[in-house]
Parts: sequence; structure tokens; C-alpha cells
Amino acid sequence: MTLAAFKNRASQNQEAWRYTNLDTLLSPAALDAEPFPHGPHACPFKTCLVFLNGIFEPSMSRFGSVPSCLLMGDRDSGYSLTLGEQTCLVAHPVELVFASDSKAPDEIPLKFSISLGKNARLSLLENHRASAVPVSVETSVTLAPHAKFVHGKIVSGGPHLALYTVHAAEGSFYTNTSLLRRTRPARNEFSVHLDGQGAQVSLNGIMFLNGHDHADTTAHVLHNAPHCTSRQSYKSVLDESARGVFQGRITVAPHAQKTDGYQISRALLLSDKAEMDSKPELEIYADDVSCRHGNSVGDLDPDALFYLRSRGLDEKAARDLLIQGFLADALDSLPVEAWGSSFRHELGLEPL
Amino acid sequence: MLEIKNLHVAIDGKEILKGIDLSLPDGQVHAIMGPNGSGKSTLSYVLAGRDGYTVTQGSVTLKGKDILSLSPDQRAAQGVFLAMQYPVEIPGVTTMSFLKTALNALRKARGQNPLDALQILKLLREKAKALDLSQELLSRAVNVGFSGGEKKRNEVLQMAVLEPSLCLLDETDSGLDIDALRVVANGVNALRAPSRSMLVITHYQRLLDYIKPDVVHVLAYGKIRQSGGPELAKELEKTGYAAFAREDA
Repeated sequence: MTLAAFKNRASQNQEAWRYTNLDTLLSPAALDAEPFPHGPHACPFKTCLVFLNGIFEPSMSRFGSVPSCLLMGDRDSGYSLTLGEQTCLVAHPVELVFASDSKAPDEIPLKFSISLGKNARLSLLENHRASAVPVSVETSVTLAPHAKFVHGKIVSGGPHLALYTVHAAEGSFYTNTSLLRRTRPARNEFSVHLDGQGAQVSLNGIMFLNGHDHADTTAHVLHNAPHCTSRQSYKSVLDESARGVFQGRITVAPHAQKTDGYQISRALLLSDKAEMDSKPELEIYADDVSCRHGNSVGDLDPDALFYLRSRGLDEKAARDLLIQGFLADALDSLPVEAWGSSFRHELGLEPL
Repeated sequence: MLEIKNLHVAIDGKEILKGIDLSLPDGQVHAIMGPNGSGKSTLSYVLAGRDGYTVTQGSVTLKGKDILSLSPDQRAAQGVFLAMQYPVEIPGVTTMSFLKTALNALRKARGQNPLDALQILKLLREKAKALDLSQELLSRAVNVGFSGGEKKRNEVLQMAVLEPSLCLLDETDSGLDIDALRVVANGVNALRAPSRSMLVITHYQRLLDYIKPDVVHVLAYGKIRQSGGPELAKELEKTGYAAFAREDA
């Protein structure tokens, strides 16, 4: 989907975009205000597929022990990753690195189709390096019964728009953990359809923003079958004039009995000018369900700050340690251990 | 070590301390006793540098240097340590990483080389053992889910690790049963040294059976009303604080 298509989508559903105005945020003035330097494309993982300016570059990539037929397609028709029945790539986490350089076009549209066969397993980290030009991602995910897709995402900066549409069949599992940084702006949107009985989804993320960053996480989980479980858990740390948005929506179809849904958004505001907008929505048409949501916005605990400072930590060290503590459970529960260093590095945190 | 002269402190414009004079020599332990609301905790917070307290008059020096102009971390670097009445919970930060960060921050401020993770682990294990604190506690988040006794022992553990020269103990006995009190007191007594002074703030005489003070001061209505030897504490236990009626009453 191109930038124009995203804008068109936004104009047709203003309520869903009320906190993220693409016309303003992506105006030429906003884009030129502080362009990002293009990030590097080095990658620490054994299996690392590099896309430069939206085009897959085999010469920069490493397939490791993963067959190269995993990835098919091209920029214009879109790329596809397909795992056949029983195929398991969990032991070889795949990293997709998206980088751009001075030859980048005005915008980089990316289109992916990811499909996992019955019982297939995939761990995939999308690593979007800082980009000076808008990147838009349109990804559709199809999970066959009992497939498991562990999906991670890091956005290191720049304008970024993404829409993930997931269809999960019986007993399948989808989890995403996204880290959004230096986004001017970002919209990270999920539409997850739990179509088969017992399907599970877990959406998690960290928005770590400062300056005039703007990040919007919008997640819509549709319980279309009984006995499905959904979790949404987001943490935001907002400094200076940053703005975070979390819109979490759970829709439970009339026959989706025994649904178990939960969503929580917690935000830490480090400045008077930072802003967090949270909008939880529950739409429940079944009667035997458990759906809960929670939301908190606060600043650093002054008692805790004094406690740390009285032990010798200067103000910055004390704040950093409390922020690290705030994010600890999100970082400790990453589904792929090897992602920990990538996430911590991106956050500028030392390993604990 | 510590010289407090004519210290007046106000919170939100209300005067709480109304001229404290106290001289704590090197190596001595002084107790401050007093009724609730007398300003005992205010004194400990002001010495440690907490926000919200306005010093309207007077001076406080540590080893001859003014500390009132210093931030809490600068005071810690100068050797001030406050064992708090209500230790704060820090979710997500393990006691281990907290103490590693704190110790290395203090070592840096004192011109010493930082210790590596292994050295710190060894040091913490040794000190925790002496305080009968389980090692498992070191890998848990600071004070989160700790019992009252564990929190107080954790304060003494931090004191043992950070090696301050001035220890302020604010109601360290509150919430402790007699066994925990003994462990905490033993931990504190093990830290008594010629180069270290302690100010023990307590409501009850009980703690002073275990931590023997050189001098006992009675703080009531914002002033030190009487000072004496350990026998003063015993006397107060019998007579209570009624004798120290409001000066302005």
C-alpha cells in the first residue's frame, strides 16, 4: 500500500485515525524538518534478508541454514514467505532488515504475504533501520491450523506506516512484539482475525519516544470463533513533546463463546508536554466471555527517585534505572531470547 | 563528623524544625527519640536532601563541609546514608543491579575503579549472608514483595555494601519482630567503626537495648529538649514524652 493509499484509508475512517493526522504529520514541511540519516544494514543474525530501498538484495543477505526458496516475489508484486506443513524455523530466527540509502525513492512501499502451513513454526524479526523517506508496510499473514508465528519488529526512526492483517485458523498462535523509536510518525496497525476455535494472539510493544515523535499503535482483534484467547500489552515512555497513541479494540462475534480477551496500556510521561492517548474499545456480542482492559498514565515516582539518588545515583542514572524497571517485564518476556540484545541496543539500555 | 547548628526547616511554609543543634563526633552513635510528629523523620530527610523541605535558617556540615547545598546523590558520595522508615519498592529493577549501579556510582564519585559484576556478586552474597538474607532476594525486584523485616534488612545490606561514613537510621525498628530486630541490630553493630557515625532515630527504647548509643537526644516539637546518656532512654520508657510539653503551649 502506498502512502496515498494509507491517506485514503485514513480519510475514509476518521474515527480510527483521530489521533494520527497523516496530512499534517506527513506534510512536506514535517518531513523536511528533521530528516533522518539512513541507518546501517548490518545484521547479527545467521539468517538475515536485507531489503535496500524496498528491494531484496541477495548479495547483502545470508540465508544460513534456511532454504532460499523461503522468500519469493519482487517489489512490485510483493514478497511472499511461505512455510509448508510441519516446517519449523524456530531454531533459526529470521531477520528481515529494511534499509535505505541516498538512492531511495520518495517513498518505499513494502508488500508481504506470509503463510504458514499446518503445524509450521516461524520466528521472524523485522528490523526497520532509520529511514529518511516514508516506509509503508502492508502484510497479510495466514496461519493454518496449529501454526505458530512469533513476530518481532523494530522501527529505529523515520516515517513509518504499517498494516498487518492476520487470519488465524484453529489452534494457531500469532504473537507480535514491536518497538517503535524516533518515529515521525508511525502507525503500527493490526487487524487479527481469530477464525478457528482455540486460536491465540498476543500483541505487545514498546513505544519509546522523545522530541516531536508520534507513534500510534492500533490493534483490532476479532474473536470469530469460540475458545480463543487474545492479549494486548503495550508500554510507552514519552519524553519532551512526544505523543503516543494506543487504540485497542476487541470484537467478539455472537457465537465466539468462552472468549478470553485482555488489553492493557501503560504509559510513563517524562515531561509536561508529552501526551498519551488511549482508547480501549470492547464490542461484545456473545454472553459467555471474559474481556478486560486496563490503562494507566503516570510519571516517575518521586519517592523512588529520591530513594535511588540517596544511594548515589545522579538524576539521569536514577531516571534511566526507573525507566528500565518500567520496561523490564516487556523486555524479559520477549519470545525469542536472541532479540533481547537488539531491543536493548535500540533502547540504549545496558543488559541487566 | 556531623555538625548541625540552629537548623530551622519548614514544609509548605509550616515550621517543623525550630532550631536544632547537634554535634555527632566520629565513631559515635547518637539516638534521637521523641513523640510522633516531633520532626524526627523531617530531620533525617533534610540531612539526606529530599525535596520539599525548606531550610530557613542554620547550617549542617559533614566533616567540615556544608552539605545543605548538595543534591542527594552528592551527599551520598560524601558519605551520607539514610536507612528509610518505609523503603521504596522499585518494580523491574533487581536488588543486584540496583546495588551494582549505586556502588559503582559512589566509587566513581570517590575516585575508585568500578567493580565488575562478579566482584559485586561476591560482595553482595557475603554481606547478605551475614544479615540472614536469602540470595534469592538479591535477584528479585528491590523491596517488591519483601516482608517488613526483609525490607529493613535490605536497608542494612545497602548500608553494609555502600560503606557510608554517616548512617541515618529512621525508625529502623518499626515493623520488626524481636528476632528480626536482633538480626538488624547485629548488622548495624557490625558496621560501627571509628570512622563512621550513626544517628539512630526511634520512637521506642527497645532498639537501643541492641544498638547502644553514646548519647540520647529527646526531640519534641521541633527542638532538642534534653540530651543525656543511655539511661535517658530507659527513663523515657517509664515516664513517656508527656514531660516535654509544647514549649509554646
